[in-house]
Amino acid sequence: MDSALIIRDLEPIFADILDQSDLRLTPESSASNVEGWDSLAHINLIVAIEKRYKIKFALGELQDLKNLGEMVTLIQRKTAP
Amino acid sequence: MNDYRWSDLVMGMAAQFEVELTAEMMTCFAALSGDVNPLHLDDEFAKAAGFQSRVAFGLLTTSFYSRLVGVYLPGKCALLHGIDVEFKLPAYIGDRLTVSGEVVFLNDAYRRLELKARIRNQAGNVISKAAILAGVREP
Repeated sequence: MDSALIIRDLEPIFADILDQSDLRLTPESSASNVEGWDSLAHINLIVAIEKRYKIKFALGELQDLKNLGEMVTLIQRKTAP
Repeated sequence: MNDYRWSDLVMGMAAQFEVELTAEMMTCFAALSGDVNPLHLDDEFAKAAGFQSRVAFGLLTTSFYSRLVGVYLPGKCALLHGIDVEFKLPAYIGDRLTVSGEVVFLNDAYRRLELKARIRNQAGNVISKAAILAGVREP
């Protein structure tokens, strides 16, 4: 799936968890520039992504992610046929 | 007290216990919460409102979900992250409640489990259901 499509797909999930109905995400979105993206919200986001795409992350895969764009790349890799 | 570690946990794992709602619990909960609504403390008021007697505090019965996580599943290493609870029926003093939960999701990266939980009364009717999120700490 195209990275822009994944980001659009993730927006309502993030909006719900971060309680921001008008949230707009970009590849540069991260915990440092999105309000409410704290450590507990991060766990909720990761779990929601796992359920949405039926994938599993290892902690090592998540620790070095710098922003949403890198997360999307990881999702693309894990959902590739 | 159970002491399950992350590696012990599998999907479908379940636990349950029974507890009787007592008048003393109601008194203690009213004191600690400050909720002195007569629906919970005055039988006549509750009957006039259409209930069989005073109604147990919803968050008193919800506190048994805390016991489910902290004592039974996973037990000692639990750290409660959240509970989404829905009340279905009132509970009353003297009710014998069965609290049960089942693992429905495991997030390996952050070692967080999700439980689908229920509280049933002695007639087998569900008084509340809950989705519970809990971390499993390293001891």
